[in-house]
This record gives sequence, C-alpha cells and structure tokens, in this order.
Amino acid sequence: MPAPRTYWISSRPTGRWDKGGDNVDKEVAIIAYAQTKYEADANASRELQVLEVTVAALKAAGLKREDLDTIITANNDYLDGRTISNMRLVEPSGAWRKNESKVEMDGAFAMLYAVTRILSGDHDIALVVAESQASVYGTYLPGIMMLDPTFDRQRWLLNEVSAAALQASSYMDAAGVSVEQIAGVAAKNLENAALNPVALRSLKGADAKKVLASRPLCSPITELMASPLCDGACALVLASAKAAAKAEKPVWVKGVGFSHDSYLTERGSLDNMGSLKLAAEACYKQAGIDDPASQIELAELHECFAHEELMAYEALGFCDPMQGGAFFDSGATKKGGELPVNTSGGALGANVACAAGLTRVIEAAMQIRGDAGKHQVKGVKTALAHGQTGLCAQENIVYVLGGE
Amino acid sequence: MAKNEVAVAGVGLSKHVSKRRDVNIAELVWEAVNACYEDAGIKPKDVDAFATGNMPAFEGVNMPEEWGAGHWGAYNKPVLRITTGGTTGGSVAHGGYYLVGSGLYDMVMCIAFEKQSDGNSTMGLNTVALADAAAQLQLGVDPSFIAAFGGGAVGVAVYQASSYMKSSGCTTNHLDKVAALCRNNAALNPYSHLKQPGLTPEEVAKTTLLQYPIRFGHVCPATDGACAMLFTTGEKARKLTDKPAYVLSCASASDEAALVGIAGSGTTNVDPCEQESCKIAAARAYEIAGIKDPRKEIDLAEPYAPFAHQLLMFYERLLLCNEGEAPSILDSGSMNLEGELPVCPSGGVISTNAIGASAMERVAECALQIMGKCGERQVKKEVHKAVAHGWGGAVNLNVVAVLSDEPRR
Repeated sequence: MPAPRTYWISSRPTGRWDKGGDNVDKEVAIIAYAQTKYEADANASRELQVLEVTVAALKAAGLKREDLDTIITANNDYLDGRTISNMRLVEPSGAWRKNESKVEMDGAFAMLYAVTRILSGDHDIALVVAESQASVYGTYLPGIMMLDPTFDRQRWLLNEVSAAALQASSYMDAAGVSVEQIAGVAAKNLENAALNPVALRSLKGADAKKVLASRPLCSPITELMASPLCDGACALVLASAKAAAKAEKPVWVKGVGFSHDSYLTERGSLDNMGSLKLAAEACYKQAGIDDPASQIELAELHECFAHEELMAYEALGFCDPMQGGAFFDSGATKKGGELPVNTSGGALGANVACAAGLTRVIEAAMQIRGDAGKHQVKGVKTALAHGQTGLCAQENIVYVLGGE
Repeated sequence: MAKNEVAVAGVGLSKHVSKRRDVNIAELVWEAVNACYEDAGIKPKDVDAFATGNMPAFEGVNMPEEWGAGHWGAYNKPVLRITTGGTTGGSVAHGGYYLVGSGLYDMVMCIAFEKQSDGNSTMGLNTVALADAAAQLQLGVDPSFIAAFGGGAVGVAVYQASSYMKSSGCTTNHLDKVAALCRNNAALNPYSHLKQPGLTPEEVAKTTLLQYPIRFGHVCPATDGACAMLFTTGEKARKLTDKPAYVLSCASASDEAALVGIAGSGTTNVDPCEQESCKIAAARAYEIAGIKDPRKEIDLAEPYAPFAHQLLMFYERLLLCNEGEAPSILDSGSMNLEGELPVCPSGGVISTNAIGASAMERVAECALQIMGKCGERQVKKEVHKAVAHGWGGAVNLNVVAVLSDEPRR
C-alpha cells in the first residue's frame, strides 16, 4: 500500500466563506424541489419537462409564479443543440418578465448563483431549474467539444469515457485499488437505485461480478461503471431566512465550496481530485466541520464513473488519501453504514447532464426532511451534496446541508 | 440592496478586429485579463472567484474556460460560467455584482469574449431559428414567410426596425445619423473595431441596402475581442484605485421567446420593438439604485445597439425619454460626446461586436467614463450615474446595470 500523501495547494479562495467565524447558516434555505422521472427517451420536449418540475416545485413550496424573484436555469447549448439554450425556457420556468439568468454548468453550480443572489439581499425567492435530454445529442460529442480545439480534439482519442478510463487506471495504480472494488461501488449504487422511483437504471442483487461482466467501454470501465446519460429535469426553490420563515421543514445551506481544476492534459496527475478537496475544505470551514467522517451523516455524490466515488471519499476527507478502496470495503458507505453514500443510486442510477448534481442536492435535502420514501435513511440531520462539471470532474462544488 | 458595496476597480480590453489569426481563444482572452490585472494593480492570486461567458456555438468549443481558464490565472479557483446569448457579457457582469454583493467572494474577475473568426456565427445563430422553423412548418406556415426571418440577426432586425420607425416617426435619415455618430465615436476609442473618422450620414445612406430599412452601414461588424472587469467590494476598490465606479444595481427581464410559441414555451412575442422587458428591467434597476427620475439623474447611456435603430429604441426603453422622442433628441445633438446625455461614447455595438463580450463592454465603458479613463472619447460633462444595457436571446432578453461615482446611500 503506497504511503498516504498530501495534496499540493496553491491558493485558496478568501472572502466570506473562508473567514471561518462569519457563517451564513440560516440565511438561505431549500424549501421545495421536484424531479421528473429520468428516462432514456422521454416522451416530452425539454420545455414540457421544465414546465412539469417548475409547476411541481412551486406547488410543493405553496408559492405562485408571481412570488418568484429570480430564476436560474442550468443547461448547455451543446446539449440542447441550440444557441442560447435558456431562451426557450423563459415561459416554462416561470421566468416571463422576471429576473432570469443561466449558468452553463451543472445545476449545482447554478444553485450557487441563486444562493449569491439571495445573500446579496436583492432577491428573496429563487427557482433553480436544470435539464437536458441525452436522447437528442450525440453521447460523447459535447465532451469532445470541450477539448482544446487545436490539439486534443484533433487526435480524436479523448472523450468522456476514455479520459475517465485514464483517470481510473491512474488512480488504481496510485492507490492500489482493484477493479473489483470499483465494480463494487457500481453494484452498491445500482442496488440502491432499485428503491428510487425516479432512477433510470437499477440492478437488484447487483455484485461486482455482474458489473464486470457488462459491456466493456474502455478498459477498465464497463457499461455499469459508467453513468447512463438520459432525459430529465429537476427544480429547486431557495428562500431567504425571511421568506423561509413560513416554510415547513426548511433545509439550510450551511456551507458551499467551489473550485476549478486545471485542464485535463495540464493536471499534474489524474489520480486525485484536487479541486474537490479544495471545494470541500472551503465548504467545511464555512459549515464548521472538522471531522467530516463523523459529522456528516449522509452524502450524495455526483459520480459520473464508479471510481470517482472512491476518489471523492478521499478528497472529501471521509478517509485518508489513497484509502478509498479500504474505506469502501469497510461497508461504511452502504445504506446501513455509518456514512451512507448515494442511497438514491447516485449518477450511476441516472445522469442527466447539467441536472445530476442538482439532483444530488435534492436527494440530500429529501433525506434531511424525511421525504425520501423507500430509500430514506433514518435520522439524517447533516448531509453533503456534490456536483461536478467537465472532463474527469474538472470543476467541483460541495454543499453541506442541515435541518432544524 | 446588496450587503456589500460593489465596485469596479479595473477594466481590461483586448485589441478588437475582425480576424485575430495571431492568437487562439485563450491567448486573446489573456490580453484582456492581463490588462485588467495591470489596471487594477493586482495579481491572479488576489482573485477569489472568476465569472466567464461567451456564445460557445460561435467558436465551436463547448465551455472554452475548461481549457482556457488556467491561462487566465483561474487555477484552483471557482469559475462560474454564465451564458445567456447576446446578453452574455452583461449577465457575467451581473454575476460579478451578485458574487461580490453576497459577501461570499471579495474579488471577482469577470471575463467575456468572442472569437468569431474561429467559427461561423450566423450558422450558430441559425440553430436558434431551427426549432422555430420546424414548428412553423408543422403549423402550415408558408416557408417563404419563414425565410423572411432568415439570415441570422439581420432578418429579425429589419422587422424590428420597421416596426420602430412606424411607431416613433424615426426615418432612415435618423438611422444614418446614428451610424455616423457611433463610428465617429469609435474612431476615438483604441479598442473599437470599425473606426470611421469623419463619416457623414450621407455616406452611410449610400451603402448597400441589405433589406429595408437596414443598410450595410447600419449593421455591426463581426469582431474578435475580449473584455475583463474586476468587481470587488467598495472598501477594497478604494484601496486599489482613486476613483472606482460603483455598481448600484443590476436587473434583467425576459419577454416571451419571439416569433412563435412552441409547445410548453407559451405565447408569441408579436412586436419585437415593444421590448417591454427592457422597461421592466430598467425600472427595477433604477428602483434598487435609488434613482427616481432617470431622465435627470442619468448622465450617460450605453444601450446595446448592433443595429442603428436600436440605439434610439433602447434609449426610449431605458426610460430616458418618452416613446417616440429619441429621434428628435438625436437631432438636438444631446447624444453627442459633448451633449447633455451622451450615448454610446465607446462607439457602441454597431462599431464593435465581439458578441459574448459586447454586453459587458457596455458596463465597462460606463465604468471607464466614471473613472475618467477614456482619453479622447471622455465625455465633456462629469459622469455621476450611467446606465449599461444588454439585449439578446430571441429578441427577448434584456439586462440593465446602473453605475455611479458614489456608493449607494
């Protein structure tokens, strides 16, 4: 087993989140949310899916369209196949003649923009809507279009899966993790997904063997280790303390951290999630968390590939560096464990590009409120949610959420 | 009202020309970002967060900051990507206002750019119309009617211009005058694209008619360029610069998506010259900024006008005069550099249009005029309050920001 090592950190964000004492707890609350069922090819346009979740989220919040101050959508022109992809979502997201903007990243990042809009004091109630439809874009094309256009794209070798395979191999080599352990993560999440009514893919009685026997994509990644891109939308209503006063069971944003890593071919190494570690540090400082493994009761991670979950355990400080495999083997992250991870099935259950990270926030909030139905874990008061964007999780955002 | 005072402490612009063959996207952006670091007197390590945006279909790169941001000093920092079409630059600036205003991040570098020579912008824009065209064909609309809206932005602009001329009494002569005013201002701006010193309305009137009433001389160029602005707290801005430009408010509003309503996207925006959402955004921005009478209190306006008629149209929609009055205000000379309410001293979008950056360059020009850094194009009157505007989407998105030489009381 290689010796644990420390990550090199060049600089950190300052500002309020890093000042420790100046916390934002009880300033912004999640008061409602909604998800569509995630499907391989939904029988609805993206506009109709957005309309569905907007109406459902507003209904759950007991609000009318008129009550909304600002609307942030999360989508991507390449996924929508349309320049200015937010433009047609003005009406279905309830943004007509309202203050609207778009974050072209995962919805979890769009949520940060909505949080800042509320913290600024200019807005009290914000709606965040995230969507995409994998049935309308070429599976790996948007990822290929993210590559450096002069060199990496021309070689036609790198895409989301081949880049992830390089990362998985690099991580296995550095941390001594076996492909069976990675397959085990996929099996855990697919088994969990069987209890989540909106998940696209699940496998009762899944084990590492079945995962490894699925269609090989790019060694060591097999089909069941890669998240299934699909169609869907989700929405979240955020409120200032004042506006949340009337809400039932508000879930408070206790901290958030966000960091951007170097470009894929410019990273020192792919065997760790440096930007996730920085994001987590900033978030924990804000939320007053010094021992994440014991203080966090449940985590929803945005794992586009199974190995990313093991790497995230380390970056989030659930275990020591390079101990992700051993931590998984301890069973702590299973549904009945000390720190259940992805009880919803995670992104391996359904990955709507631009929405899967926001879905993690929604699932974490559901667990805190006790709304998670069959996959509910008892007594969750503090939960972590993670979202990512970019190849090999280049950009990461972490939230710590808490109940009353 | 933002918790933190928000101010602009630095502005950087790249060279703006039609084809920058000597640099790639990341290098082009670096010119502006580096200029901004130098202007504000800071280093990349001092920045807490970045906000960026462009129109990705125009260059053919999805999320270009994924490979570019490391070259702009954004290593291991938050990089929030905000894109909203033509309003992108304005939306990124609004992002800077909220990120600083929230108290989460003290120093935010906002970056907006477009390198149109790397791709085909009209092709990129046509993907907007594709969904419309499909729906119209399904409804049995005559394809020749649909084709009338074709040709990217110009097709929509002529419809809007005709409607504006009918409702306001604006003549083609006014369009020529607007073009001459802007191109002459642009000649004094080292960062503008089309510089035409001494251009007269008569010369504009002789340019090719594209589609009535728009002539070649009334239309913006396609530009490669980038703009960067440092947003920070009032306190830090005062340490960095003698005269920061305070951002008093930001507001946006969206009308219904234009032309036809598609399943789930509601009704149709019948008249693209109405721009009700601009009036709503302007009124909201003035309200937050504590401006009671914009006609008296605003000293300078930078409306987003890639087509000549839009300068007059948005002057009205920004509530700076009654509807239909802008053409006569233009005739009075009030919009000139030495006038009472100078408009587009930068030369405007009609002279320089690096699309993703354009709406931010409006905010940047307001800031530079307030800071007194405009050199030859510095307006004669002292600028206390200025309004910056951005427009885009399917002619339905509007963003407005109000800047001032004093923090909000």
